[in-house]
Amino acid sequence: MGNASLEGLKIIEMTEAWAGPVCASLMGDMGADVIKVESFPRHSLTRPTSPRYATMPGDGPVYERDALHHQGNRNKRNIAIDIRTESGNQILKKLLSDADVFIEGYAAGKIEKLGFGWKDVQKINPNITMISIAGWGLEGPYKKMVTLGAGLDATTGHLSLRGYPEGDFVDTHPNFHSDATGSSTIFFAALTALLQRQKSKTGTFIDLSQWEGLVWQFPTILAEWTMNQRIPERLGNDDPHIVPHGVYRTIDDDKWIVVAAEDDQQWEGLCKIIDRIEWSEISHKYSSIVGRIKGREEIDNAIESFTKQYEGFNAAEILQNNNVIASPVVTPPDVLLSSQLHDRSWHQTITHKWTGPVMVGGFLWDVEPDSLSWDIPTALVGQHNEEILIELGYDEKKISEFYTNGSIGNHYEN
Amino acid sequence: MTQPLDGLKVIEIGGTVSVSAAGKKFADFGADVIKIEPPQISEVRKIAPFPDDIFHIDKGAVHLAFDTSKRSIVVDHLTNSGKEIIQRLGSKANLIIMDIPAKEALDLINIFKDGDSLLTNIVTITPHGMTGPYKDRIENDLTLFGWSTRSHRHSITGREPLRYGPYAGVVQIGSTAAAVGMAAIWGSRSEGMSRLVDVAGVEALMGNVDSGFFLWAVNGALQPRSAGQSTGLYPMGAYKCKDGYMLFSAGRDPVYSRLCNAIGRPDLSTDKRFTDPVEKPKHFEAFKEILEEWLSTRTKYEAFDELQEKGVMCCPVLDASELENDRQSVHRKSYITRNQDGIGDITIAGPPFRMNGLHSDAWQSKPAPSFSQHTNEILEEYGYSKQETIALFRAGVTT
Amino acid sequence: MTSNLLQGINVLEISEVWAGPFGCSLMGDLGADVIKVESYPRKSETRNAGDPRLDPRVAEGDGPIYERINTHHHGNRNKRNIALDIRTSEGREVLTRLIRWGDILVESFSAGTIDRLGYGWDTIKEINEKITMLSLAGWGQEGPYLGRIMFGVGFDAMAGHSLIRGYQDGTPEEIIPILHSDATVPLTWIVAVLGSLMERDRTGKGSYIDLAQIEDLAWQFPGIISDWKMNNRVAKPVANSDPSIVPHGCYQSAGEDSWINIVAENDSQWQNLAAMMDHSEWAEIGHSWSSIVGRIDSRDEIDSHINQFTKQYDAFDLADKLQAQGIIAAPVLSPPDPLMSPQLHDRNWFQIVDHPYIPERLLGGFLWKIEPDAPSWDKRAALVGENNDEILMQLGFSSDDIAQMRSKEIIGDAYDEATR
Repeated sequence: MGNASLEGLKIIEMTEAWAGPVCASLMGDMGADVIKVESFPRHSLTRPTSPRYATMPGDGPVYERDALHHQGNRNKRNIAIDIRTESGNQILKKLLSDADVFIEGYAAGKIEKLGFGWKDVQKINPNITMISIAGWGLEGPYKKMVTLGAGLDATTGHLSLRGYPEGDFVDTHPNFHSDATGSSTIFFAALTALLQRQKSKTGTFIDLSQWEGLVWQFPTILAEWTMNQRIPERLGNDDPHIVPHGVYRTIDDDKWIVVAAEDDQQWEGLCKIIDRIEWSEISHKYSSIVGRIKGREEIDNAIESFTKQYEGFNAAEILQNNNVIASPVVTPPDVLLSSQLHDRSWHQTITHKWTGPVMVGGFLWDVEPDSLSWDIPTALVGQHNEEILIELGYDEKKISEFYTNGSIGNHYEN
Repeated sequence: MTQPLDGLKVIEIGGTVSVSAAGKKFADFGADVIKIEPPQISEVRKIAPFPDDIFHIDKGAVHLAFDTSKRSIVVDHLTNSGKEIIQRLGSKANLIIMDIPAKEALDLINIFKDGDSLLTNIVTITPHGMTGPYKDRIENDLTLFGWSTRSHRHSITGREPLRYGPYAGVVQIGSTAAAVGMAAIWGSRSEGMSRLVDVAGVEALMGNVDSGFFLWAVNGALQPRSAGQSTGLYPMGAYKCKDGYMLFSAGRDPVYSRLCNAIGRPDLSTDKRFTDPVEKPKHFEAFKEILEEWLSTRTKYEAFDELQEKGVMCCPVLDASELENDRQSVHRKSYITRNQDGIGDITIAGPPFRMNGLHSDAWQSKPAPSFSQHTNEILEEYGYSKQETIALFRAGVTT
Repeated sequence: MTSNLLQGINVLEISEVWAGPFGCSLMGDLGADVIKVESYPRKSETRNAGDPRLDPRVAEGDGPIYERINTHHHGNRNKRNIALDIRTSEGREVLTRLIRWGDILVESFSAGTIDRLGYGWDTIKEINEKITMLSLAGWGQEGPYLGRIMFGVGFDAMAGHSLIRGYQDGTPEEIIPILHSDATVPLTWIVAVLGSLMERDRTGKGSYIDLAQIEDLAWQFPGIISDWKMNNRVAKPVANSDPSIVPHGCYQSAGEDSWINIVAENDSQWQNLAAMMDHSEWAEIGHSWSSIVGRIDSRDEIDSHINQFTKQYDAFDLADKLQAQGIIAAPVLSPPDPLMSPQLHDRNWFQIVDHPYIPERLLGGFLWKIEPDAPSWDKRAALVGENNDEILMQLGFSSDDIAQMRSKEIIGDAYDEATR
């Protein structure tokens, strides 16, 4: 049995990609009854119909074997509805009528057009909390713009910080940091609203701009400008105030190690290991951080001449044993080799109809006494249609009518 | 206006009450005193009272009084980066006074050594000195006082020995360090040699004049542990008057005879009961009754004026509320009240000595610095770039 | 060889008892040339004893009582001595020459006395504009208390210190008189006079320093005035306790009148102390005493437990054991105890001093150790007038002048025992 922290809460999630779905899974991890209302007949973004890099081997439809989709949709039930149809519209209304939280991830304005704006939802269920997670929020000049996480990364200024000092933006790998961090923000927002409901006895609408959810995480970008009229430079792995602080080569081709010594004590440990003990002696200029800052290149070279002799995990262990910050730059397969994660039983083995048993990554946190469990593997499209519709009071006849008129479904056309 | 110690640079390390008291006189008389404080918050800042009993790192009374006219920089002297800062600051200083454990002090001394010669004057303050089997012991104001033999005498027979007022011992140790530090500066001005001075708290207290050890060492005698009023060479001690107490030191002639005359009992000055050294201790109660009767009709200030007029050594016993308004204190401005940013009015003692008249500005007591107030300023002054300064902060060397 | 820190500084002392003379000895320890002008024919106060049978300050032995007095012995090392009647014209000539010789003049008469003797600052600086004059009157040189007289015990009372250092349940009558200002004033005035000499390097002139002994006490006790001004509270005695630290006190140890001070300033010291007392549970989480908050609330109970514990042990042994566990602990020494300290012996602190009438004593040493030139006790406390001839010849007087002064009792080398 899983964790029961959020037991009794009913969550309706109607989002795609990452931030929304992952948030809903986090709630499911903690015992909420999460129903994902999946797009139908259009396939969801994370359920491509033709194979891609993330497609797992196995039989069955490609859109049921996408690894990214699997990772973001555990612990939910699934109903696939075409809410543009009258019946679909009715089903969603019924779902919302006794739900606690409704998370929707359409572009701004879209949900109103579908008849499920806050004004409508409020009428259906005055106690519900509705969260819209459009990229730039629901109002303002950008409200009509559409984006994914990579665009938010660029417009918060984060993109300008990442990357090689000598490189250009075009070389910088896009990332989806807002998706990874957005899920926790939405989670926190939903629970805040629920706590408020205990006092106000009424539901709340939350306009959560994912851009705003990202921008607060990088105060230095703005502060460098407002405090010191400076545009922060790309520093790669350097820290202007810490030497050493970088990524170094190991004995293996394209395998790397991070090494940093944040204070004099760590530096002393590092000097011992790289056979430069004299560099930490009080008479040597590098014994002070002030001297080290001026000798970054020489120090980096000395460290690399050490790390190049070792395999990354081994070098990291030697350095850590001497109180130096060090870790291998792990590749995805390396994660499976981590004795630490295995010791904590972090990995989860999931059996899925089409992919068979798969070892996947675990939870974001460990809870006592009722620890988390992966009770519901990622559901198939419309896997719980019948179960949910019966709960809503529909009979089998009605359900088969819905299938026939296309307001629900359980597979996508390729 | 120049002050006597203008141009001197003094560094204090450790943040204790002792070292803060040691640096104070240098600072108030014009030296540039840099207070190097540990990131863990200086002891002197933690000591009550605080305004309205709400503690604050910048509002402790002892800090406000002892850290006047100094600049504050935070440096972790245990790190090599911190030592490099201390080395740079110290190389331009006339004197470094430190109150840190002996082991740590030795490390700092070594960075100022060039072969056998020392690059600047250093005074170390430790409980038991830099050498010997007790060098690593930890003590505080109370235990140091117990070591000094003073507690033993400062007590009523049969009861536990007492220290003096809180911090009296460690302040005295700080004053001892200041005196010899000043002498070391003088010594290098006249002959260019720097010295290493080892002040052991126990020795500083025990070697001073009021140490009980000397009496014993010379005479094999133990001073009696009398309770307050002396029953031998009286009147000595506090006697009750109309509104409080009067402290007498009038047991011996000529002062004793003057007292007898002043209270209208010249006969007592020749009364064998009170003048014969063997008889005198037997008649303490009788004399006490006579003196207290006279005092009972007078306030302590009335008695003080009347008796001092006749050359009797006596003083009113004052409490905290009376200090500032004492006529002499008012006349000399022995206490000064001034505004301190973020606190309001504070009152501290004025100059411990007046150079060239009561109103000269040889002594200028500027407000005590807030924690780390001058870290950036001092690091810049000593050649650190802003990037380096931030790196020092980031590495936990400064705060 | 003594220290050379103050070599070349000439100190002229016309001062009695402790605050003036001891500071001059400290300067002598550091290499200054100190000449003490001793009162003559009146005996100086420092050499005044009561009945030698009853006065513990008098050492047993032969020779005049005034040469065997402990306070004089202790407060007058490393000086030369001239006993001079400065009320005579010849004596004044000697003093004038001494003032020309001096860099520092230390006087501790009551305020106004030195002016009446004809040696006020205006006169002194006429004689030698480079000299710095230090006056040590208790209440300073100006103000309504001009002319009043007192010793350190009184300044202590009037600076507010007396009322905060007694037992918490005691009365002012039970407060033991102390001479704290005598110990600390010299430390302050050394800074004062050296500061003035540094200023002299710039100005070419000496300074006049008015040090009120009561003011030197005032700065040392900031808590007294601050608690009144900040919180309207009149400070009361805290005895050996600290309001913010428990335990912090003096406890009985084995043997009569034997005591030990123990302090645990933080949780880890408390933990070790509890373990030493065989009550580790007092420091375990869950027990209220494991937190300083709980300890503050149970001060008396904790003190009584500690007392039960300490009573079983010798103070020195127990302090050794507690210190080994990182606990602040120290025996309370009675005057003979320092001789038992392995630490002081290891540091060669004690000084063997010989004196014509008080032979070979092991005395206490210096306030500081100095490298490379350590202080040494080169000159024991001088006998009265012991260096009369040497000093007068140095000042340019002939043997005849000296003989004449001796015969006219302007100088001397003995007091009449009976005089005061």
